[in-house]
Amino acid sequence: MSKRGEEIIRELDEQAAEKEEQFFTHIANRLNRPRIIKTPAHPFRGAPDFWLAYELSEEERIGLFMANWTSMGGHTQRFPDLSSLSTYIEDMAQTMKAKYMIRFDHPLLNKMKMEQKLPDIEMTVWNKHAEEELLVKAAGADIGIAVVEYAIAHTGTVVAVSGAEQGRSVSLLPTVFIAILQAHDVKTKMGEVMKDLTRRFGNQLPAGVHFISGPSRSADIENDLTIGVHGPGIVHALILDESSP
Amino acid sequence: MKVSIFITCLSDAIYPQVGEAMSRILACQGVKLHFPEVQTCCGQPAFNSGYWDEARTSARTLLEAFDDSDFIVSPSGSCTGMIHHYYPSLFKDDPVMLTKAREFSGKIYEFSQFLVNVLGVTDIGAHFPHKVTYHPSCHGTRLLGIKEEPRQLLANVKGIEFVELPFAEDCCGFGGTFAVKMSEISGAMVEEKVQHVIETEAEVLVGMDMGCLMNIGGRLRYEGKQVRVMHLAELLHEGVKQKV
Amino acid sequence: MSTTFNPTTTIKDRAHISLNDEFLRNAVKYTTEKLRTSKKLASDELGNWEEWRERARQIRLHTIAHLDYYLSEFVKNARAAGVHVHFATTAQEAVHITMRIAEAKGAKSVVKSKSMVSEELHINHRLEEIGVEAIETDLGEYIIQLAGETPSHIIIPAIHKNKQQVAELFSEEAGEVLPPETPILAGFARAKLREKFLEADIGMTGCNFAIAETGSMVLFSNEGNARMVSTVPKTQITYMGMERIIPSLDDLEVMATMLPRSATGQKLTVYMSAITGPRRQEDSDGPEEMHIIILDNGRSSQLGDPEFQEVLNCIRCGACLNACPVYRHVGGHTYGWVYSGPIGAVLTPRLNQDMEKWGEVSYASSLCGACHEACPVKIPLHDMLVYIRRQKVEEGYTPASERMAFKGFKYIMSSHRRFKRIVNLGKTGQKIIARDGAITSKIGPLKGWTEHRYAPALADESFRDTWDNLSAELHVNGNKMAPDVLKRLQEAKRRREEKHHE
Repeated sequence: MSKRGEEIIRELDEQAAEKEEQFFTHIANRLNRPRIIKTPAHPFRGAPDFWLAYELSEEERIGLFMANWTSMGGHTQRFPDLSSLSTYIEDMAQTMKAKYMIRFDHPLLNKMKMEQKLPDIEMTVWNKHAEEELLVKAAGADIGIAVVEYAIAHTGTVVAVSGAEQGRSVSLLPTVFIAILQAHDVKTKMGEVMKDLTRRFGNQLPAGVHFISGPSRSADIENDLTIGVHGPGIVHALILDESSP
Repeated sequence: MKVSIFITCLSDAIYPQVGEAMSRILACQGVKLHFPEVQTCCGQPAFNSGYWDEARTSARTLLEAFDDSDFIVSPSGSCTGMIHHYYPSLFKDDPVMLTKAREFSGKIYEFSQFLVNVLGVTDIGAHFPHKVTYHPSCHGTRLLGIKEEPRQLLANVKGIEFVELPFAEDCCGFGGTFAVKMSEISGAMVEEKVQHVIETEAEVLVGMDMGCLMNIGGRLRYEGKQVRVMHLAELLHEGVKQKV
Repeated sequence: MSTTFNPTTTIKDRAHISLNDEFLRNAVKYTTEKLRTSKKLASDELGNWEEWRERARQIRLHTIAHLDYYLSEFVKNARAAGVHVHFATTAQEAVHITMRIAEAKGAKSVVKSKSMVSEELHINHRLEEIGVEAIETDLGEYIIQLAGETPSHIIIPAIHKNKQQVAELFSEEAGEVLPPETPILAGFARAKLREKFLEADIGMTGCNFAIAETGSMVLFSNEGNARMVSTVPKTQITYMGMERIIPSLDDLEVMATMLPRSATGQKLTVYMSAITGPRRQEDSDGPEEMHIIILDNGRSSQLGDPEFQEVLNCIRCGACLNACPVYRHVGGHTYGWVYSGPIGAVLTPRLNQDMEKWGEVSYASSLCGACHEACPVKIPLHDMLVYIRRQKVEEGYTPASERMAFKGFKYIMSSHRRFKRIVNLGKTGQKIIARDGAITSKIGPLKGWTEHRYAPALADESFRDTWDNLSAELHVNGNKMAPDVLKRLQEAKRRREEKHHE
């Protein structure tokens, strides 16, 4: 950013700092009471009790997740071990005649050694050591592979979290998106994911937490369902039963 | 125990037969009825148009009329809804009237609501061998929560052939002054409602509000359609007469 | 106030245009029915819908009642994550801040994901005035942008456009003839907008929810354009209505349960993104700089007003539009401003704080209450519409003829004797126009009514005239209540009083 640009942003920040308290005080005045500074008791936080009690067994969770994911047009399959999962992806890449792929720099994926088995494919690994512009690579990729943190059975959702080795573009820009998830990360409901995110990160969430439920879609032209509008049109959720190392 | 009729200005002046049918059914069940004559209108036309002062003047006649009644029964879900749902806000700035309004709003019932929920009657022994469809009026269902009561009463009518009205819960386009103020929109709404009525091939359209029925019936006649439009009380009463 | 959309037409004129647009009416009916059915299926599938609604309402009520606290928490946490937070009291201020950021960044092009708030600012036009290209990237928004129109539905902005029209708009943009086939049209938009995403300097988004505890902003989308806009460009600007706050991630579960189901009947939109600040230092994508502009623009005027505060609970799902029998016939443009349907009929006069110009939008409702029934946070929109009409009367913006008519109403209805006399006068008067119990004449004071249906004639004898005889006949066997009826009445009265004391 130019020097002048930085100056403008600084000015705006100063104006905001000046305006801030007046903005909040105006709200308090409208509400006919003094400003509230202390955390108020929030008796209605989160889902109702009957929902908190809702809990499925692991097999039920996986079954429900797969049914929901499929109903939205996603593909899903379970694998007993890493090698069968790896073979599945390799076959898919070859069948699709994929040329470019991009993936998280994740121990599970590193263990698969796909690069060796797919010598004709240019594989980009997302990490801070990468020399090239990763986002551009992702945009040109046929397949993006991510290891997702969670899945939600009730909504058929996978949850990807951004980080140095986990670009958000991997689940967004390629034509095909493959989400790999471990069976024990499938939760019954969203609230469990929220709780675990809070447990892990406190109030400092990663910059991007993305809940993904099936392929990109639109019904904006005469209600016709269109798949793959901006995001990936083909999405796979591959479930690994074997526990991670 | 005093049970009074709130006839509504519309039924009073235009559809007295509805009030008569309602009175006869209730009397048949053993209810002694009163008609306090100082009543005029619930004030809804003025209220809904934003003229609350005007609405209050008319509402006061009702508060006076029914002050000493324990139960008030009316053949309109909409007028009952107006009293039940809005009288407390209408008199919110007048503590004395507000108390009266609150009391009143708790003791007024729409006809089917009174019959089913207060008297516990769901079968009055009517016989009505016709194909009938039913328009559930918006205010009765949404402001008063009357959903099952009219259906229960109809279900127990012998010989009736009941057919569901498509998009039954959609407003017919009456809306009081809306029908005149936004006449073109209202016209489109009632036109569609009538199409749905015709689709059912029913001989009779029954409802619980003469405002809506005046609207739908007026459109049916405008289109030269032969469907008979009846208030629930009229249908039940005719069904009892036919049986005798 | 903020708007530059001065309507030169009345709502009646606009309704007239819509009512004569056959395609529009069919498209709106088809789409709203579909959304309504999907919502019903989704809420049934979820179960306990009323409990969920009540919880969602309570969360929204609580948040708005403590808005200064939660907003300041949000601001603190968003800043801690590296966000530049700005405050705009009016639309103009928000525009001004945007322009300054665009200037600082030397921006040439902006990509936008769907944001109703940004429609309040007319930001696209303003950016174009200074030579910055602003591209809408939601497929529906892109269509109407090319057509030079405004959204006609909160969720499906191009509800009123058919395939042929879309093909013509896209063909012009493509410089070649595209057939009216959805996959081809969508494919064109994907490719075209991909280029735009990659070259844009700034991404602009709205904000479905902002989480106080974490300083995150949450976006729901199906196409993925909201993700593109918040991932690809170097700078992100987010417009946030000041009431978009919820306290915590836990509360987001409730909102995520209600919003997609109420909007389209989906269990969840394809993407739900919680974005907390710009990219971290070690991240290789996501915006490097992030601005959130918090907008008041009439919202704070609803606070502390017992009749309207709840309108701020709205989560912009569009369920009230889909349920509304008026919207069904006239579509979104009839309402004249940014928001349409029942929520629009309330927000338009209230946010603009102008009864003279916008009060009449509240008449576009039969007050049937379907909106309230459909609302996932139970906003009593039908009541608010009446309050707006009252406000319009109080401020003296209703026509003299109408005021006279209600003076007449007051005079007649203040006494049963007068009422009776007028009815009798009417009976005499109608003799020349009523035939067979109906009035069909399309002239005179009943014109609005009789243009579309017949009016009934007054009865020969009113109910009150017949009461004495009727009463004598009904109670011929004594003047007492039947004993079992009396018992039931006493029982009902007891239940009523119990309920009252609870």
